[in-house]
Amino acid sequence: MKRTHTFLFLFLLFIVLTGASFSLPAGQAEIPKVNLPVLITSCGQSTAPVMLKVIFMRLKLEFKPKAYEVKELAAAEDLKAMADSGTPYRSLIITMGASLKGMGAAGISIDDELARTSKLIEEARRQGITIIGAHIEGIKRRAQGAAVGDNTDELSIDAVAPNSDLLIIKKEGNADGRFTIIANEKNIPMIEVEKTLDLIAEFKKLFK
Amino acid sequence: MSVKWLFIRKGISAISGLILLVFAGVSFYKSRHLKEPVVLSPGVSQVKKLSEYFTGIKGTINDSNVYILEGEKPGGTILLIGGTHPEEPAARLTTWIFTENAVVEQGKLIVINSANRSASTVTRLGGAYPPDFTIPTSWGGQKFRMGDRWSNPLDQWPDPEVYIHYPSRQELAYVDIRNLNRTFPGRPNGTLTEKTCYALTQLIRKEKVDIVIDLHEAELQYPVISTIVAHQNGLDLAALASMIISGTEGFNIGVEYSPPALHGLSHREIGDHTDAISLLLEAPEPFLDATRGRTDRALLLEGKDEFVVKAGRHGLLFEKMDENGWPIDVRIGRHCSTILQIIELWSEEKPDKTVKVREVPRYTDVIEKGTGYFLRNPAKADPKKIYYE
Repeated sequence: MKRTHTFLFLFLLFIVLTGASFSLPAGQAEIPKVNLPVLITSCGQSTAPVMLKVIFMRLKLEFKPKAYEVKELAAAEDLKAMADSGTPYRSLIITMGASLKGMGAAGISIDDELARTSKLIEEARRQGITIIGAHIEGIKRRAQGAAVGDNTDELSIDAVAPNSDLLIIKKEGNADGRFTIIANEKNIPMIEVEKTLDLIAEFKKLFK
Repeated sequence: MSVKWLFIRKGISAISGLILLVFAGVSFYKSRHLKEPVVLSPGVSQVKKLSEYFTGIKGTINDSNVYILEGEKPGGTILLIGGTHPEEPAARLTTWIFTENAVVEQGKLIVINSANRSASTVTRLGGAYPPDFTIPTSWGGQKFRMGDRWSNPLDQWPDPEVYIHYPSRQELAYVDIRNLNRTFPGRPNGTLTEKTCYALTQLIRKEKVDIVIDLHEAELQYPVISTIVAHQNGLDLAALASMIISGTEGFNIGVEYSPPALHGLSHREIGDHTDAISLLLEAPEPFLDATRGRTDRALLLEGKDEFVVKAGRHGLLFEKMDENGWPIDVRIGRHCSTILQIIELWSEEKPDKTVKVREVPRYTDVIEKGTGYFLRNPAKADPKKIYYE
C-alpha cells in the first residue's frame, strides 16, 4: 500500500514537472510585470521605435500624463527628470539593431550609442524600471542589413539583450538562435513573434 | 608597306567604322523613338502635360504626360512617380498598371509614367544594356524602352566638373546633375533635369498633393533595399504600412529614415519644400548588381543570376537571392501592394482626405496572372484613349 502511494506521488510529481516544463520552455524565466508609463528608445537609431510608436498608438493605452513616449536619443537624465517630476517611467523599451542612415542622420557613432545605452540601463536599474530589449525588424537588423563587414547590429544586441528583464523578438531575427542563447544563459524570459503586427496582441497582454 | 596598301587599309577601316556607325545609329534612333502606348483606364479623367505646371519645360523631351484620375467624391491627392530612373523598369510598369486599370472612387490620383523621359531614351553608356524589353501579353506583347539612371546626354550636355546642388549647396557627384533623384526640388533656370524637378515640385504645390510616392528598384548589394524610405513627416505612415504589408501581403518591406543631410533626393526635398508627405519605395533588381553575369533581357525580366547568388553566399547582399531570382512580376506586385496599403492606411487615418482606388492588382494577383495580364491591347482600344510615352 505504502509503495503504491509512493509510486502515485512520484507519478503526480512527474506530471506536474513535465507540465510546468511545457508551459515554460527550458531556461525560460517568468515574464515580469510591466507597467506604464513606458519610454521607448533605440540602441543604434534604427526605425524600430517608430514602429513601436505606431503599435502603442493603436493600443490606445490610458495613463496620465502619457502612457508612452518615444525618444530616439533618450538619456539617463530623461529617466531622472521624470522621476523628479513625480511620474517616473516604469518600463523602458530599448530596440536593438543599428541603422547607419539613422546614426548618420543623428550625427553619432555606434560607440556613442553604446555609451548612452549603458548609462540609460544603469539609471533604469537604479530606479527599478523594467527593461525590455526588443529586436523587431528581423534579419534586416542582423549584420546583413547594416553594411558589408559591419557589426553594429551585433554590438547593439550585446549592449541590450543580456541586460534586459524581458526580450521581445521577431522570429526571423532569431534564426541562428542568438537571442535564445542569451535568454537561456541569463535566465531572461523571451517572447517571440512571427510578424511585427503580432506585437499589438503581445503588448496588449503585457500592459493590460 | 606601299602607299597604295596604306590607303586600302585606311579605307577598309573607315568603311567598317561607318557600317558600325550606321547600325548603332539605327539602333539608337529606334530606341529613342520607340512609341510606348498607354491605353487609358476608364478612371483617367484628364491627361495633362508637365509643362502646364511650369512652362519652362514646354517642348522639351521631359514635357511628360500627367494622368489624372479623379473620384466623384472629394478627398485627398496622391502622386505616383514612375520613371525617375527608367533603368528600374518595375517602377514604370507599376505606374503603367495604374494608368491602364485604376478607377478612383474618392479623392484624386495623379500618375506619371516617365518622370525623366529623356533618361528612358538611352541606356548606360558602355554598359551593353539591351535597348528595350517586351512584356508578354495574351495579345502578343508590349515593348518598352530600357532606359538609364541619368538624362540622355543628347538632351543635357556637358556635365559640369563639379555639381553643386541647389539650394543646399551640397557637392554631389558631377554626373548626378542628370539624375532626377539628385536634383529635387529643382530650379526654374537650371538644367533640363533641374527644370523637370522644378515642374514636379510645382505640380505637387499646385495640386495640393498629400502624399508623393516615388518608385524605384535597387541592386541587392545596396543596403537601402526592399524598403520604404520616408521623410520624417511620413515615418508613422511608412512604419504602419511596413507592418501591415509584412503581416498580410506575403512579403516583407522595411522602413528607413530619409537622411536630413543628403540632398537632392525626392524623399528629402519634396518633404522639405512642399506640404506633401514624401515616400520612396525600393524593390530588388539583380540586373543592377555590379557582380551580375550576362546583362540581357532575361536578367532584366527574370532577375536570375548565378553570380549574384554567389555574392549572396559570400554575405555581400542585403536581400535574399536564390535560384528563383526576383522576377519582374514579383517586383511590380510589391510596388502595387505597397502603394495600395499606403493609400488605404492614409484614408483610414485621415477620413477627410480619403483616396479610394479599385481595379489595381495586388502582389498575389500580379504574381498569379503576370504583368502582361494588366496591360491593355492598343490595337483594340479607342484611339482617343491611347497616349504615348
